[in-house]
Amino acid sequence: MSVYKHNYRAYTGEVTPLWTRVLVLARYAFAEAWSSKITVALFTLSLLPIIVFLIVIYLANNPIARALIVKGNSAGLEVDARYFFQILQTQSMIALAITAWVAPRLISSDLSDNALPILLSHPISRFGYVFAKFIALFSSLSAVTWVPCLLLFAYQGYSSPQPWIGGNLQIGVGVFVGAVIWIAFLSILGLALSSWVKWRIVATGTIFAVLFVPAGIGGIVTAILRTKWGFLLNVPFMMSVLWRRLLGVQSFSFAGESIPISAILVMLALACVLCIAMLNARIRAREVVRG
Amino acid sequence: MGVIDLDGLEVRLGNRIVLNGLTGTLQGQAIGLLGPNGAGKSTLINTLLGFHQPLRGTARVFDFDVRRDRAQIRQQIGYMPENDSFIGNMSGVRFVRYMAELAGLPRGEALERAHEALFYVGLGEVRYRKVSTYSLGMKQLIKLAQALAHGPKLLILDEPTNGLDPVARQRMIQVIKEIRKEGSIRLLISSHLLRDIDETCDEVLILKDGRIAALRNIEEERNSHRNFIEIETVGATEQFSARIRELGCECASFPGGRIKLVMPDHIEARDLYVIASDQGVQIRRMNQRRDSLEDIFLRAMDNEVGRPEHVSV
Repeated sequence: MSVYKHNYRAYTGEVTPLWTRVLVLARYAFAEAWSSKITVALFTLSLLPIIVFLIVIYLANNPIARALIVKGNSAGLEVDARYFFQILQTQSMIALAITAWVAPRLISSDLSDNALPILLSHPISRFGYVFAKFIALFSSLSAVTWVPCLLLFAYQGYSSPQPWIGGNLQIGVGVFVGAVIWIAFLSILGLALSSWVKWRIVATGTIFAVLFVPAGIGGIVTAILRTKWGFLLNVPFMMSVLWRRLLGVQSFSFAGESIPISAILVMLALACVLCIAMLNARIRAREVVRG
Repeated sequence: MGVIDLDGLEVRLGNRIVLNGLTGTLQGQAIGLLGPNGAGKSTLINTLLGFHQPLRGTARVFDFDVRRDRAQIRQQIGYMPENDSFIGNMSGVRFVRYMAELAGLPRGEALERAHEALFYVGLGEVRYRKVSTYSLGMKQLIKLAQALAHGPKLLILDEPTNGLDPVARQRMIQVIKEIRKEGSIRLLISSHLLRDIDETCDEVLILKDGRIAALRNIEEERNSHRNFIEIETVGATEQFSARIRELGCECASFPGGRIKLVMPDHIEARDLYVIASDQGVQIRRMNQRRDSLEDIFLRAMDNEVGRPEHVSV
């Protein structure tokens, strides 16, 4: 082929390795996610709390500022596990909003345009397709969760007059592990729900609904049956319990706080398995005829 | 080794056996895939692409097994699906480039080939428009462009002229002929339009109820009936038919004085006029024709189900 001659010519050049095709899909998915102004706006919004938290860390480690602001009561400017728990919780809610906006852009449009037969006719598997979308979403969410959290952690370690990081390593590890669990869960959930709803806006609403409606049901179950297990339907609450334990934050004396970590992890794993089953049923080049 | 080797291929979807023990070797430059709706054409294509798993038997494309070597097969294939399949909010050139990169072309090469492919199929002027704004004919062409961009060894076209107006159809057929003529790409074209296959293919696989009804080299088939003649007569047709049968012709009479016959090499058209003159029969029209794909197809479909029952041979 050539543009001016309009003839076909066979391709004889080099071909990229098979494993890099997933990265091609991920790159285009990432570009698609960030082509929206709303995604950029949400990302910018996610930086505002980080700036506030950063300023607080600066003030907490500045003796003059402390003397001027706290006037003997230093409780308001303590940078400890509870402080990083608040950062993580704030950023996680923003991550949820970004997931609800971005995930449908990654999958719903492919499904509504019936792009899967063409995409999957290339040397890429269904797993590769989902994994690439997962990479795009996970990396976008990383930019608003564990990456800024760990930067704040590092800044606190840098600006603290005493050696701080060594004694508070659990906070850093807890922030990283807690954020990764949350955004991995959000990514799988977002992709699974988006694969079942063709309209983007509806998919966005569905992602919020699936997290918060069961939480309400769980609350009702807890109240009526007087059991703590109803909290297992409340994913945001479960995550906050998990984060507290990971960061070593003292718990409130609250019934739901006593739910074992293993139960939370099993519940999250079950939800992920369900999401994978949903993806497996929908991410196909052709509908499977039954009967 | 053929382009596609089928060995007892059986595919089941749900509880229905869609492909039932297909065995054969397809080795033409352009292979037509024919059959009525539900015969299994698209299922065969999907199986070759690895979308469906064979229940029994196997299929090989360029000697790669569809079960084990899915990625290698897809690397060799350009696929143009039957239905609309694209990413609507991408521009034409970005979409084709994306597909070329997925097929393994480096970024720069993919962009270059995307431009070339779009010009080649005739979408050069609209390549920066979003694909969702394309007309039906343009969407067919961009599917062809993305299938071609990475320079596949086998191009699978599923109903390429579906929904096209006559001009667009002719353009599509012309492009397919050019690709075939260029010679570096084998073609597998599925269609329910005999004319499309007739114009573009040299081999045909006819499927019926998930089985192979016929696998023929179209050119050889045509040449085997070189002296196939259709005539329209007025007068004593039956006697006339009897006389030409005595000459050694195979002959079938139809209502309205139509007669189809295959003449042996030693008989010429002039002999027919002599007999007609003796019988007082007028020959109003005489068409010397080659066996058409339609004849091959009808023969394959349950012993020419389309023909009138009162045909006498």
